[in-house]
Amino acid sequence: MSFARGQIMRHVIVGTGIAGTLAAETIRKFDPKSPIIILGGEPFFPYCRPMISMLLEGSVAPEEMAIREKEDFLSRDIELLLGESVREVNVLERKLETERGKVIPFDRLLIATGADPVKIQVDGCDLANIFTMRHREDAERMLKALPEVRRVLIVGGGLVGLKAAHALLARGTKVAMVEKLAHPLPLVVDGKSGAAISQRLEEMGVMLKMGVTVASFAGNGFVKEASLDDGSRVRCDLVVVAVGSRPAVSFLGKSFIRVNQGILVDSFLETDAKDIYAAGDVAEATDVVLNRRKVNAVWPVAAEQGIVAGMNMAGKRVVYRGSMGRNVLRIGDLDVLTGGLVNAPPNEGYDVLEDENRRRKTYRKLVFKGNVLKGLVMLNQVEKGGTLLSIIQRQIPVSMEKERLLEPGFDFSQLLPR
Amino acid sequence: MSDKTRKYEKYTITRDGQLMLGKAEQEQIETVWDRFQDQLPQCGYCEMGLSCRNCAMGPCRVDPFGEGPQKGVCGADADIIVARNFGRMIAAGAASHSDHGRDLVEVLEKVSQGKAAGYEIGDPGKLMRVAAEYGVSTEGKDASAVAGELAFAMQEDYGTRKKGLQLISRVPKKRLDTWEKLGITPRGIDRETSEMMHRTHMGVDNDWLNLLLHGLRNALSDGWGGSLIATEVSDILFGTPKPVTSTVNMGVLKEDQVNVIVHGHNPVVSEMILQATEDEDLIKLAKEKGAAGINLTGVCCTGSELLMRHGIPMAGNHLMTELVLVTGAVEMMLVDYQCIMPSLGHTAKCFHTLMISTSDKAKFPEMEHNEFHPENARELARGLVRRAVENFANRNSDRVYIPVEPVKCMSGFSVEAILGALGGTPDPLIDALKAGKIRGAAGIVGCNNPKIKHDYGHVTLTKRLIENDILVLDTGCAGIANAKAGLKVPEAIKFAGPGLKEVCGALGIPPVLHVGSCVDNVRILVLAAALANTLGTDISDLPLAGAAPEWYSEKAVSIGVYVVASGIFTVLGPTPPITGSANVVKTATEGLNNVVGACFAVEPDPEKAALLIRRHIEQKRKGLGLPSLDI
Amino acid sequence: MKEVVIHPERCVGCMQCMVACATAHSKTKNLLTALVESPLPKPRIHVGVGLYREGFPNRCRHCDPAPCMMVCLPGAIYRDETWNTVLINTERCINCATCAMACPFGVIRYHEDSLGPPEKTIAVKCDNCVDRQSRGLVPACVEVCKCGALTFEEQSSSLKRKTDEMARRVSVGAEDRGVVESPGFDLLNALKKANVELSGREASL
Repeated sequence: MSFARGQIMRHVIVGTGIAGTLAAETIRKFDPKSPIIILGGEPFFPYCRPMISMLLEGSVAPEEMAIREKEDFLSRDIELLLGESVREVNVLERKLETERGKVIPFDRLLIATGADPVKIQVDGCDLANIFTMRHREDAERMLKALPEVRRVLIVGGGLVGLKAAHALLARGTKVAMVEKLAHPLPLVVDGKSGAAISQRLEEMGVMLKMGVTVASFAGNGFVKEASLDDGSRVRCDLVVVAVGSRPAVSFLGKSFIRVNQGILVDSFLETDAKDIYAAGDVAEATDVVLNRRKVNAVWPVAAEQGIVAGMNMAGKRVVYRGSMGRNVLRIGDLDVLTGGLVNAPPNEGYDVLEDENRRRKTYRKLVFKGNVLKGLVMLNQVEKGGTLLSIIQRQIPVSMEKERLLEPGFDFSQLLPR
Repeated sequence: MSDKTRKYEKYTITRDGQLMLGKAEQEQIETVWDRFQDQLPQCGYCEMGLSCRNCAMGPCRVDPFGEGPQKGVCGADADIIVARNFGRMIAAGAASHSDHGRDLVEVLEKVSQGKAAGYEIGDPGKLMRVAAEYGVSTEGKDASAVAGELAFAMQEDYGTRKKGLQLISRVPKKRLDTWEKLGITPRGIDRETSEMMHRTHMGVDNDWLNLLLHGLRNALSDGWGGSLIATEVSDILFGTPKPVTSTVNMGVLKEDQVNVIVHGHNPVVSEMILQATEDEDLIKLAKEKGAAGINLTGVCCTGSELLMRHGIPMAGNHLMTELVLVTGAVEMMLVDYQCIMPSLGHTAKCFHTLMISTSDKAKFPEMEHNEFHPENARELARGLVRRAVENFANRNSDRVYIPVEPVKCMSGFSVEAILGALGGTPDPLIDALKAGKIRGAAGIVGCNNPKIKHDYGHVTLTKRLIENDILVLDTGCAGIANAKAGLKVPEAIKFAGPGLKEVCGALGIPPVLHVGSCVDNVRILVLAAALANTLGTDISDLPLAGAAPEWYSEKAVSIGVYVVASGIFTVLGPTPPITGSANVVKTATEGLNNVVGACFAVEPDPEKAALLIRRHIEQKRKGLGLPSLDI
Repeated sequence: MKEVVIHPERCVGCMQCMVACATAHSKTKNLLTALVESPLPKPRIHVGVGLYREGFPNRCRHCDPAPCMMVCLPGAIYRDETWNTVLINTERCINCATCAMACPFGVIRYHEDSLGPPEKTIAVKCDNCVDRQSRGLVPACVEVCKCGALTFEEQSSSLKRKTDEMARRVSVGAEDRGVVESPGFDLLNALKKANVELSGREASL
């Protein structure tokens, strides 16, 4: 798959998130001459998506959300085409077509289109002031509606839901949150942390209802009330639907690039189609802990995949070691960090070690299989998280007593050979 | 609670300790182990003895790697700095014991003047014997008068007026000659400590060996001076211990009784508390308050004093002092001085427990100060125990957790009691030694230290030694550790080797004899001196050894040094801060052999320490011409 | 160019580097007055505890490429090529702690920075004392380390020293030891190691 030095390749990148941006920068590092084009469906300069809740909160201005300065793209000769969504990818003819009819040929293609938020299909879901929160535009529209809003309902207690809750609390609205499963962040934390998070949210004034979902919305043009499936009703002037996201692959319908949840890629982040790569929330690469392919839609994974995809596109064969789901968030004075396999299935040989220290307000859970660390949950002391996450990422057996990793005093110092 | 105690198995071998650590964590109560973790890593300069803060030209440290500063600002090198620091540890330890002795002598004086209600002469026979040693004539004098003169004579041992300590006369002549030749015969109790502080001032003694030798002398002024006076006067005032049976560990606290715990060292306080808890009116008051009675127990040395003399149960040793409060069942803890953690007042605040400090020399945060003096002791004790009884009503029974059943133990083995058990003379012991049924004896002494798994050092070493027919005498925290492990009952001979089993079995004594509190280490010395005198040898010829497997305190340093200076090989568990000077290390672990016929060894592993002691004992046996083994 | 090199086998755990670092990053740059500043300055080097209770000065390695820089959401972490240092733009940091997840050494902390925006919790880490270096001074941690655990030297010279040490160690007659230069420190560490290992041993009762 190598190419002769100096050969010009036309690199096209679809997606203006961190994966696309870093891929472009990486290609340019190794290939100073080839043209690089980034297409973005949104009309905005590449911005940091996780920061839109801060836009909603009012703690950042739109221009502060930019991933890079305009100058960074110009000086690297990276062309940006904003407001151009891809309609179709023609794998055989090696070209793509946008919704606006533009045809763009490519030698190497990176699909980094991210994910689309899942919408709930219930009666009344078309009422005004029911939003998802994925794009900057969502935050801006919510901001416009806010002056008339007193009560907010957040559907879904995942990461997006929590961030929306935080932002809207800061805006002075009353916030209620419903979640289908037993506790907030059900896919990301375990029961104990979930309970701690619930407690914190309630202390912050969020009205929580776990184990329920929305049956329908009601209102006159604008949403006024939600009916839950437990029979209760919640008044709300604004709803944030945060029940998950799906990789944005609809435009691949006619191509033969295999898609599972996301676009399936190999250990070089290449899809079934030669010279077509995928990275970020849209990609389904091997998860190092689970040893099978999985979408891990988090920022640091998108970043590393963008870099590795970029290297491979530039002709440097680099194996992607695999993704690892991980998250860190702050809820009031509670910090939560998780990574890898957090909720180990029972009876499959996983060894779960837990330690809670109420005096120091720390909690740590480690999921081991034999001596290999597979998963981690930490409440507080998140500055130590990176060391433990790197142990998971490497999937090598831990040679010291496993309980050592639970101690509040554990840090990099103990990994040194003595 | 018990499924979480697995991680506490690292901290302590005791079940009550593990369970209480679980409760402490549940209730978010900080313990000594938490504070130890927070301190890590501890500064290597200080661990090696290479830092000095004695003067304002400093503070200074010496780089052990030879590149950074090699001398303090004054010019002191590593040897001098290490020796000075070690000398001050000895001084502090000796001062503590000796001050404890001084307080007892002052009570004796007040008793003779009739100004100490509640105190009396508990053992008039011993009073007369010791008085005679001091050259006080006892003809036609009553106990009061003799007590007064003895007190005066003992006070002279503390000062400069006399040039020697009286009780040195008990030491075998060969040993005394050795000390004379070395120039380390102690001259006065306070004098040696004072001179150590002088010598270690910047610009005084800058010869590390000279400093160490004075260290030996300073320690001897404690071992054959201050501590010995403390033990003898305690016997005189409160009675010489006789074999007694009691119970130990946290199970001695009772859910249905008013629990009063004494902590600290000096029986001048704890004996008065004991009297108060036996007061009929107060017991009646307790019953009126719904308690079955008043339960007095002790922790640490003052507890040992009461155990030795009165069979008062012991709730725990040094590292358990916070955890006994965590049971939630303690109405009052009274403390005097030494080894009392300044955190206790804070721990007690989590419960209804009243914390009372009693010594003008020792005040603590969050404790109520009620100063004891010989004149007011009895009344004050009564008043405080009354408050403890009234505090019973404030106990929250939901938070009470006394997790174990107490273990039986025998105590009370003063030298007099040991000789009594042997039939009046040391002959049976000597015969057993000669025949090899008992190979030798070891004194297992000292504290606890969170650097070592609690009680693991003491119990493991003791078990190994008795398995090999070595009689163990223990004091202090070590004594409590062994008692908790069930080694202090006659039935414990099942853990002993065949010879020791036979001898102890015949005498009806356990293979491990509780000799008392930390000042009572002198009882071991006195016994050793008596044996040496009987056999016509020096103490250093005897098949004896000492060990402090888990020591922490400066007092332990003084004890270790006086034991070695008296001719007994001593093994330490935790490392003393001397590794910064190869010279000092060599002298302590080898050189001293050539000057005082004994030295130190540092061995954290009690299994290996047992081997060292066995080897040493067999060598000494060989030296005496007794049947010996090659270990 | 010179960089701070860590020699872990020399660390005695005295924590002077932490005190000096915090002082150097305070407003008043003097220990006594730093103690009454608000916010209290904090160190960017952290002495951790090893397996056998020894010390280890854990400091930012200014990696190239830097994982923290790659994942920083607002792009607040950047590399200063002049000083070969990874720095954090205190105005742009949003305290998301994504860098905590990325740093395998765990050297980033989150608090109000004495020299950063007031009342704002942000990510804080070693800045190679760039300010001091620009004034011709050595990094604060190196200045106070008296046992040689932190040195300031060209990479080539520290590599040469290690090579020499290695050569000495494998030559005939050399003792097989971690550090040849201090028997006393080795003795102390051997005893501390024994203490720790004993705690793990099952009691034979």
